[in-house]
Amino acid sequence: MGRRIGRRDLLKIGAASAVAAALSGCEFPRPWVHLEPYVRPPEEQVAGVGTWYASTCRQCPAGCGIIVRVLNGRAVKIEGNPQHPLNEGKLCPRGQAGLQDLYNPDRLQGPVRQAERGSRRYQAITWEQAIDDLRAGLSRAGSSLVVWADHTISGHLLDLFERLTAALGAPPPVVFDLYTALSGYAALSAADALLFGQARLPAYGMEEADVVLSFGAGFLSTWLSTTHYGVAFGSFRQRPLDRRGYLVQFEPRSGLEAAKADFWVRLRPGSEAPVAQAIARLIADGGVGPADRVSRARAWAPAVDPEAISSASGVPIDDLRRLAGTFATAARPLAIPGGALTGHGDAVAQAAAVQVLNVIAGGAGVGIAPGPPAEGLVAPVAAPYGRVQRLVERMRAGQVGALLVWGAANPAYALPPALGFVDALKQVPLVVSFRPIVDETALWADLVLPDRTYLEAWGYGVVEPSFGVPVVNSQQPVVQPLYNTRATGDVLLEVAKGIPAAAAALPWPDELSFLRERIAALPPGVFGGVGEEVEWARFLQHGFWQPRPGPGALQAPEARPQPVVVPAPSFQGAAGDYPFFLYIHMPVLLSDGRGADKPWLVGSPDPMTTLMWQTCAEIETNTAIRLGVTYGDVVRIMSPYGQVEAPVYVLNSVRPDTIAMATGLGHSALGRFASQEAEGPNPMALVGPAADASGTSMAWANIRVRVERTGRRVALAKFEDTRGSYGGFVNQAFADQYL
Amino acid sequence: MADATQAEHKWTMVVDLDKCTGCQACVVACHAENNVPIRNKSEVQANRAQHWIRIERYWVGDPPARARFLPMLCQHCNRAPCEPVCPVYASVHSQREHLNLQVYNRCVGTRYCNNNCPYVVRYFNFYDPYFPAPLTEQLNPDVTVRTAGIMEKCTFCIQRINRAEQQARSEGRDLGPDEVIPACVQTCPPSALLFGDLWNPESRVAKALADNPRALRVLEHLGTEPAIYYLKGGKSYVRF
Amino acid sequence: MSDSDIRAPQQRPSLGEMGLDQQAQLERERHLLVDARPGRELNAMVLEPMMRIGRAFWPAVGVLGFLVLTWWVTWGFQMWWNVGITGLNRVVMWSLYIANYVYLIGIAEAGTFIAAALRLLDIDWRRPISRIAELLTVFCIFASALFPLAHLGRTWKFYWLLPYPNERQLWPNFHSALIWDLTATLSYLATSTLFFYIDLIPDAALARDHVHGWRRTLNSWLALGWRGTERQWRLLKVAQLIFSIGILLIMPSVHTVVSYDFAMTIQPGWHSTVFGPYFVAGAIYSGVAAIIIAAILFQRLNHWSYFIRDEHLNGLGIFLLLTSLVWDYFFFQDFIVPWYGQVPTEKQVLLTMMAGHGQLAFWLMITANAIIPFFTLWWRRVRTSWPAMLAISILIQLGLLLERYIIVTIDLGVRELPFNWGLYQPRAAELIMSTGAVAFIVLGFVVFSKLIPFVVLYEVKEGQFLVQLKRIGKGLIRSKME
Repeated sequence: MGRRIGRRDLLKIGAASAVAAALSGCEFPRPWVHLEPYVRPPEEQVAGVGTWYASTCRQCPAGCGIIVRVLNGRAVKIEGNPQHPLNEGKLCPRGQAGLQDLYNPDRLQGPVRQAERGSRRYQAITWEQAIDDLRAGLSRAGSSLVVWADHTISGHLLDLFERLTAALGAPPPVVFDLYTALSGYAALSAADALLFGQARLPAYGMEEADVVLSFGAGFLSTWLSTTHYGVAFGSFRQRPLDRRGYLVQFEPRSGLEAAKADFWVRLRPGSEAPVAQAIARLIADGGVGPADRVSRARAWAPAVDPEAISSASGVPIDDLRRLAGTFATAARPLAIPGGALTGHGDAVAQAAAVQVLNVIAGGAGVGIAPGPPAEGLVAPVAAPYGRVQRLVERMRAGQVGALLVWGAANPAYALPPALGFVDALKQVPLVVSFRPIVDETALWADLVLPDRTYLEAWGYGVVEPSFGVPVVNSQQPVVQPLYNTRATGDVLLEVAKGIPAAAAALPWPDELSFLRERIAALPPGVFGGVGEEVEWARFLQHGFWQPRPGPGALQAPEARPQPVVVPAPSFQGAAGDYPFFLYIHMPVLLSDGRGADKPWLVGSPDPMTTLMWQTCAEIETNTAIRLGVTYGDVVRIMSPYGQVEAPVYVLNSVRPDTIAMATGLGHSALGRFASQEAEGPNPMALVGPAADASGTSMAWANIRVRVERTGRRVALAKFEDTRGSYGGFVNQAFADQYL
Repeated sequence: MADATQAEHKWTMVVDLDKCTGCQACVVACHAENNVPIRNKSEVQANRAQHWIRIERYWVGDPPARARFLPMLCQHCNRAPCEPVCPVYASVHSQREHLNLQVYNRCVGTRYCNNNCPYVVRYFNFYDPYFPAPLTEQLNPDVTVRTAGIMEKCTFCIQRINRAEQQARSEGRDLGPDEVIPACVQTCPPSALLFGDLWNPESRVAKALADNPRALRVLEHLGTEPAIYYLKGGKSYVRF
Repeated sequence: MSDSDIRAPQQRPSLGEMGLDQQAQLERERHLLVDARPGRELNAMVLEPMMRIGRAFWPAVGVLGFLVLTWWVTWGFQMWWNVGITGLNRVVMWSLYIANYVYLIGIAEAGTFIAAALRLLDIDWRRPISRIAELLTVFCIFASALFPLAHLGRTWKFYWLLPYPNERQLWPNFHSALIWDLTATLSYLATSTLFFYIDLIPDAALARDHVHGWRRTLNSWLALGWRGTERQWRLLKVAQLIFSIGILLIMPSVHTVVSYDFAMTIQPGWHSTVFGPYFVAGAIYSGVAAIIIAAILFQRLNHWSYFIRDEHLNGLGIFLLLTSLVWDYFFFQDFIVPWYGQVPTEKQVLLTMMAGHGQLAFWLMITANAIIPFFTLWWRRVRTSWPAMLAISILIQLGLLLERYIIVTIDLGVRELPFNWGLYQPRAAELIMSTGAVAFIVLGFVVFSKLIPFVVLYEVKEGQFLVQLKRIGKGLIRSKME
């Protein structure tokens, strides 16, 4: 931090456009801030009374509805949209932190050009120059254009990118980011395609379930929809004690879900899917439960040996039998496949193996997201990792003429360095980033043309997965855009005008007219209104569209019987050289790393370690003693593909043979908070370039590592102060009394 | 009809420990609503992190220990130990809202109140808050921004309470049973946090606490009479 | 110490063996009050060190002044950057500043006790060291009173703690122990300054009459036209009596009130009914040790072995032993009750102190306060050996500072909910302020020793007048006139 905390800034803020110029007053700094209201406020605004605008949260792909309180042209608070069926007025911490994307001090204030990649010297250019450069580059690239977007992209923008690439003869955009990769989106969709014939994300009706077996799913931290599953979990536990939901979490490490679980199975990494298969087998063999379930089990259960799986996974066979019985006899049981089980082996088969349990159960609590409800609407689909691998090869071979990166995808940070993405960039003549802030990928870009943050932008989003009813979110600017940024959609349309092949495909004057045209294709929704203007107004006012009549139950899909073969767990790295399993997980605040630029996320305590501004290597107590390390010692974690350094955090909850590491830090860009203040490892540096057997996912969950001391120490920035006598443990009396 | 700004309410919060997932949504929401600064890494390393609501994480049981979450915020004790010790009456009790109030402009920073608070829920501004522009745009004008030398703590979002009461008064009606929602309660996805007027039998908190064997208060033996009730973590009755 | 005292008791000549002259000689050697010298000589002995600026004076003032300056500069920094420059944190919000406040005002207690209580009890060995004791009190209260100010987050609003008429119509909160502190400290400061001043008047007049230059002006101003008439002496005695009694009422109440800062909270480790007498005992203990240090230093530096003799050191040493035992007793009470009670948080406090991160401070404190004095001060040889007494007293100072430090920071680091246990480590700011305060007191002594007479000469002369050697049979004994 360059300036000490003691300084008080003197701020003058101009009227409606709210461009903040900070003057550091050295003499007699004044301890207050001048906030001047509008000279002529918009009609609906009353000074001192907030106006709430509905929009969509874009902090993760879930697409929760939000309402934003705007006072005098400033967005001051985000809340969940109470009417939105996905999050019902609630919001996860990442959603709450969205204002710090909008008002991040390190945002780019206009388009810039970087003459020398990696130099971090960005010259401001005008939009005219930027568009000219971009147009020239796209014209040159033609069909070798590649667009890379992250899963939070607005449907209309993705649509424009698709049209552009199609017009130029280039392949369609790649939608790939670390969040969806580590959550297993591509594998989950492919598993649904395998079993149900529809390549869409699964939805699980946890509110109604009574027994949930979660195979490593981080449903309370990240995964498919943190807020929705949080709300569902509340209902799951709401019911009177005799019908309170029973949760089993299968995970080698205790995250939030294992903490809340009634039974935590601390199984060996990689054995989630085999255990699911063992349970299916035990249901079939045991014959316990309703007859239709047993017969389905006998039809579906694979020919596996539960005893062998029990010893391989470290789960006692009695527990497996008991769990099988519980699942089979429950009224509405549910099995949930997590992200980690898609990180190795055959991801599709592994995800399918867990879905098989739902099929056996009768499928009542499982649904498939229905997909865009109207012809003209586009929803992002996570690209399989194989496509990313081939892309990088093409880049390396000089076959990519231009790479446009939109959003928080940040491949230079997210992809394992062993894949060689940053090296391959050297062979790409034009690299453009549209992110409002400079991230690791933008460090290697020639042009950074900042898009508006989602609170300043238009868009729509098809909610995926949606839970029983199709929902299309609306997104609108809640404040005047802060800086000289332009919506990427407008930029594309402007650029296309000058490219003959594209001009015909993108004839709209601006993105808003394109957006309204697409939305007009929606049938009349639940909020009524006759006429396009009224429907559009309702769409913006409520924040979403939902069909008439109202919500329905999850549609249990028809399953196509087929064998699901899960390969035996195998790991990258010889056990002799690399004695530990590496368990990578996404923490709730930082998720895949996109939260690190926001102080509210990176400076708030991680729920399990209470660390702020830091992430660590979680090492089990006895393992730590054997290694001769304790809290705060810096160790070097080495895999066959790379190494990172991390401070040690000692836990007795993680498996003794496992080192757990969170994603989120290890940034060299993304603003001062992420790159200068925060410190922590990027565990993706330990991952190899390989994909799983199905080609849908990175092989990220089967890495083995070894640990070396560096001799250095770092002070852990924890909320709990363990420098004294406390290790976090309380006696049973205290626990019995309160916890 | 009684003036809604003059009626007495027994503002109470209920924390369901079975539902709290430890996700920190309440923590972030509180920062956003109440202009609570995020302290930088060296401040956190000096054990000065500042979060009005925090999720205390305890490890329980034999290895592998299980984590348990205990959201801890100002309990708004009816017999608050922080009140008699403040020499300048900066920590006082509100007779009408039955809340513990911290008067920022009166606080001289003796820090006695936090010593006497058994829950350690009061925070001192060791330095001025650091809001680099344009993060200042996000500050909530309903809430003072505290400078260095001042103690602060959860207020049950009293600005929201006031606003709701004024709204009700201007509309000539009483407050609805669940009309006032602090920021943490509003955002909590599993609805582990509930808030309302305990004296209004229609409110969610009154209903949640009625004859509830799980209800308890933390450190009740100290006689602080907190206004926050915790519902103890439940046990499952599923037979297997 | 004379030769005759070094020899073992059975080797010393018995009274019967010694001639009267020898006995008188012995008595004169041992006891100040029978060793009367001409007034001129006594005056010279007292005033000459006051007038002479030795080689060591300016360097001492320089070093001490520099330390005091660092104190003020650091405080200035703290007012600007605020309390974050200290080592305080969200759990331990009181630390060295409060510990210093309690410690320094504790030292002040004994000064009052020596000057006032021993006068009322008519104990003679207080006579030469009374002024040193009273001056210690004044400077220590003054320095200690600045610490709560430095401790405030918004020091510039300190006057809100005073009951002055204001437009907000607010009184300070009289329920708060800090307001009691304020009252006690201010009243103690006022009374002890006045007490010191009243005792000073005759000696200031003495200085006025015998010195020249600016010191003359200063002392004549201080002497308020004292002529030494009988009426004036009588008034002085009455005033001294009133103040002695008054200040003896204030003194224990001050430190009891200071202890209420802790005892009136519900913090485990603090919430103890024994804190009142425990703190007073500790206060007197540390104060006596401080007086011993001052007395020894002035005896050595000003060559005052005439005024401060073995009998004074011995008296002080016995008093030190007594207060040490009293402190041991109260500390034991404060320790054993929670230990037996086994209330979890209180037990954790004890464990942290004894075996946790407080153990170094704790065991040092026990060694310095309980063990070393107990195994040394019983013997007269030790009590009259100035190097030993100096060392023991300095250790006791350290031990009692550690005791305050432990009570404030270690106890405060153990809160009811285990998530909130915390460690405190002082930073440069607190350490500079602490040394600066001690330097301030020492500097005060150094400077004032050149401004006013440092031995209460009129009391010594009065004592010498009152105490005579009387012959009874073959022996001489000291007898005192009423």
